[in-house]
Amino acid sequence: MLEHVLNLGAYLFCIGIFGLITSRNMVRALMCLELVFNAVNINLITFSNSFDTQQSKGEIFAIFIIAIAAAEAAIGLAIVLAIYRNKNSTRIDQFNLLKW
Amino acid sequence: MNIIELSGPLHEIIFFILEVGIILGSLGVVLLTNIVYSAFFLGLVFFCISILYFALNADFVAAAQILIYVGAVNVLIVFAVMLINKPQSKKLFSSWTIGDTITFLVCLSIFFLLVTIILNTSWSSITLITESKKFLNFDFTQNVQRIGYLLLTQFLLPFELLSIVLLVALIGAIVIARRENLMKITEKVQIKKSPKSF
Repeated sequence: MLEHVLNLGAYLFCIGIFGLITSRNMVRALMCLELVFNAVNINLITFSNSFDTQQSKGEIFAIFIIAIAAAEAAIGLAIVLAIYRNKNSTRIDQFNLLKW
Repeated sequence: MNIIELSGPLHEIIFFILEVGIILGSLGVVLLTNIVYSAFFLGLVFFCISILYFALNADFVAAAQILIYVGAVNVLIVFAVMLINKPQSKKLFSSWTIGDTITFLVCLSIFFLLVTIILNTSWSSITLITESKKFLNFDFTQNVQRIGYLLLTQFLLPFELLSIVLLVALIGAIVIARRENLMKITEKVQIKKSPKSF
């Protein structure tokens, strides 16, 4: 039971990393980053349920991660909008303005 | 598992359905070409994870997951997709390059490494150690009461800092994403005013 849910979290993490690296659209990269955050949350809450029923510190950490991920999604999407307004393209691999 | 005391087979069926939902949903987020479909599959993944939290006896986090992730983050992503969307190709799955294959092999190896670590750890010995300690004086049976008590006594500083972080993120997102016409309108007003002064 515990190992089953931990395996599910590991699978979500690896799929999130794969999508983050191979996506050419900026919004899809942010979506895969949210998948990674959710995988970490699953892990934390599973451990809190199995080992920390008295204090449930894992759930509190998961609440903090949910809030920080929401703030980061908002700022990330604002940056994506600003970039799209300037360059009129959403392909990540063609932005090289900051290259040396 | 305090909240849901279902019978054995029903519990297994619910977990199987949730697993299939999460696995197929995450594959749809990563592999589909049409990004609107990806955004809706992401909503499905968030919803399935929330029901998983209910089954793991974390009802406050499950409600927060639905409210924040499905209700705010997913809606924000759908808005961004609608503002940015350029329809590109008509295929369902995009073709893979060499870099995609290398990344797939690396991620597969990371996944197998994690699964090996999980299956080779003796979880039963850790459970015996942690169950013998009792720290909290109040024995809250409700999950929400426990979280509320801990957030306002032991985790007060991160809680207050989190509110400041959310405020800064809100202001920052508005400043970055607003239109720049405001500057040009004030410049035109100044140009009109200056010939009148001659």
